[in-house]
Formats: sequence, C-alpha cells, structure tokens
Amino acid sequence: MATEQKVLTVNIVTPSGIVYDHHATLLVVPAMAGQLGIMANHEPIITPLEIGEIRVKRTDNPAREDAIAVNGGFMEVSHNIASIVADSAERARDIDITRAQSAKERAQNAIKTASEHHNPDELRRAQIALQRAMNRINVKNHLL
Amino acid sequence: MAESLMDIKRRIASTKKTGQITSAMQMVSGAKLSQIEKNSIAYQQYTNKIREIVTHLAASQLIASARQKRTTKATTNGIAEQSVRHDISLSNLLVERPIKKTGYLVITSDRGLVGAYNSSILKAMVEMISQNHQSADEYAILAVGGTGADFFKARQMNLSYEYRGVSDVPSFNEVREIIKTAVAMYDSGVFDELYVCYNHHVNSLTAAFRAEKMLPITDLDVSEVTDKDQEYITEPSVDDALDAILPQYAESLIYGALLDSKTAEHSASMTAMKSATDNANNLISDLSIKYNRARQAQITTEITEIVGGAAALE
Repeated sequence: MATEQKVLTVNIVTPSGIVYDHHATLLVVPAMAGQLGIMANHEPIITPLEIGEIRVKRTDNPAREDAIAVNGGFMEVSHNIASIVADSAERARDIDITRAQSAKERAQNAIKTASEHHNPDELRRAQIALQRAMNRINVKNHLL
Repeated sequence: MAESLMDIKRRIASTKKTGQITSAMQMVSGAKLSQIEKNSIAYQQYTNKIREIVTHLAASQLIASARQKRTTKATTNGIAEQSVRHDISLSNLLVERPIKKTGYLVITSDRGLVGAYNSSILKAMVEMISQNHQSADEYAILAVGGTGADFFKARQMNLSYEYRGVSDVPSFNEVREIIKTAVAMYDSGVFDELYVCYNHHVNSLTAAFRAEKMLPITDLDVSEVTDKDQEYITEPSVDDALDAILPQYAESLIYGALLDSKTAEHSASMTAMKSATDNANNLISDLSIKYNRARQAQITTEITEIVGGAAALE
C-alpha cells in the first residue's frame, strides 16, 4: 500500500441487501476463537464468525459505537475494506425487541418439545434459534 | 347472419369480463415482479460479495490445496468428515468424484398462465437429457414447482424429489429445505454432480434457459483477481475458514438461481396476461363491429318491411 490510511471501510451484506456501510477506526467481531479487533492497515484475513455482536467505532463520531447483531457468516479484510457476509444481520436500532422476545420463547418451547421427543436435529436447530434471539436481545439492551 | 343480436351481445359481455380478469392478473404479476426485482438487486450485492471473496480464496491457492488434501484423504480411508456449522460437508463440496449419475434441479412454476415459461424449460430439459444420457440410471431429477414434477412423473423419468409451493418472493430460509435435500442426496451418492436448470430473467420480455453446475464447486474464474500473490491469514485455520465460506457460497448460488427463475416467472406471467388482455380487446372491437352491422341489417329489414307493407295498402 502506497499511502498509509487510517480508515477502515466496514460493510455488512446479507441476502436482503447491504445492512451497514461506514468508515471506522476500530471493528470488533465475534470470531471463532473469541473477539477479534481489526484496525486500519490490517493484514488480509479471512475468518468465520460466531453468532454475536459486531461493534464499530466510527470515524465521524469517535464517541459513538455502533452495534450490529450477526448470525454467523464470515469476514474478509483486504485493502482496508472489511466485508462481512452473513445469513442475517441487524443493527441495534433496527432490532424489534418484542419480536426477539417472542422468538426466544418459541425457541425455548421448541427445545422443550425436541428434548421430550429425543429429536437431536430439531434440538440443535432450536438451540441455534435461541442463541440468535438471545443475541438480538443482548445487542439491543447494550444500546440502551 | 349466423349469430343473433343477443348472442353477439352476450359474447361481448363475457369477453369483457375475461379481459378484466386478465388485466387484473397482469397488474398483480407486475406488482410481484417489481417486488422481486427489488429483492434481486439487494441479493445481487450479497452474491457478488461472496463470489469476490471465494475467488480471492481461489486465487490464493487455498481452495486448490484443500481439494488436493481431501481428494487423497477420501481415496485412502473413504470416510467423509462432517461439517460443524453447515449441512454440506466441505470435503464433499470440493472432491470431484467420477461421474456415474447426474442430478438436475429443475425449477418450474406451480401454476399455469405463464405463457411459454414452463414449456421452454421442460423442452430444453428433455433435449439435454436425451443428448447426454443413454439410460434412466444415469440421471436423477429434482423438481421444484408442480408443473415440472407432474411432467416428469407422467413421462416416468427418474424423479427423485419434488417440492411444491415456493412463495412468490421466496425467502432464504424457505429455500434452505430444498438446498438441504439436494445436498443430502449428493452426500449420500444419489448423484455425483448437480446442475441447476432454470429460466434466467433477461428483461421483462425475454428469458433464457440456463443449466449451471453447482456441485462440486469447480468453476471459479480467478482471472478477475488482480493481485494474485496476496496472502491471507485465516483464523483459526484454513479448514475452518473454508468450512464457513464454501457451503454458504453453494447455498447462495442455488438461492440466486431460484430468485432469478421466480423473477422470470412473474415477468412471463405478466407478458402472457398482457397479450391475453390485448387479444380480448381486439375480440371486443371485432364483435362490436359485427354487432353494429347486425343491428343495422335488422333496422334495414324492418324499414323494408314497413315500406313494403305501406305499398301493399295503397
């Protein structure tokens, strides 16, 4: 890279379009081995992500931190562009807390019925759904 | 005059009603089309991004080395490892098996009234199969959409899976089921390669038949990548990274095809309904002329009768 840049571009895409596209000074993602912080001029890296919270420190307002709930997916960083590709991702301000709550209850019920019927496939799916709902609730509450 | 005045009047009324229905259907399809086109544009950004990342990976030789490793492993112990996060296991995505049987995922519509949409797909399919295969043991068909399923069943072609009731604007979760079944069949060796066959939406007037190879992942065009020697760190390991990315890539390809074919279906339906409405209008104007002529003829006859009657009285 000829010139040292201080800015990292973060964009998050899901099947329903671009969810997030901003310049950042710091990006923290939930990688498989734990939280992973990315700053400008990072080495090219590819990593899968866990269900969790992405935090972004923006350049235009250093005091603020954006939070995005992400359901797995992966991240690629090269040339100061961080691309996060996930099945679904929601910004904290877009999360509907009542929907997340009801999703959580639904998942808990599903876990109960699945463990009663000894259905490991269904159980695993319900556990992931629960994890996602919990994640969304956590990210939302984090904002408040 | 063969038809009476009343008959013509009745025909005009019924044609008008049909025309109203078709024009309403045209508008419904138009609304669905614009909705799904908006979705497709958003989805395009996602699929472009995935493709970009996967080609980067391919360019940095990570995929090639992983494939090599897996191919040798598969031949030595023959046990497929399971993916942790996805239904598709990585080794199955990459290893090219000898082709004994080919799978075709054929996407058609559930309903009719879509013009030549279904027939063009089915015709192309039959042609392709008869060209590439000698016997029914060499292929398996997975039909998405009722028309295709019924067609292949009636011809007793090797239909091994059918899925009906794809919604008008399909969601990613909905398509999961189809993908999962296709991949499970691929895993268990029902077929050794998978093509997805559908109508590609070119614009609102034209659609083109397409058959794309989806499994195993082979056709990665690395020529568009400029910096080939860029090296990536992979966290925590190459295998884990590929295990997350490649299955998602395969899923996105299949979902993309389905979205594309749905778009083509809506536009085909819109075009078909538009021409039906136009035909109805033409028919109505022809019938109106006929009606007016018949009425005129009747009046003329009446006048002649009156005149004739009056002359007889004198």
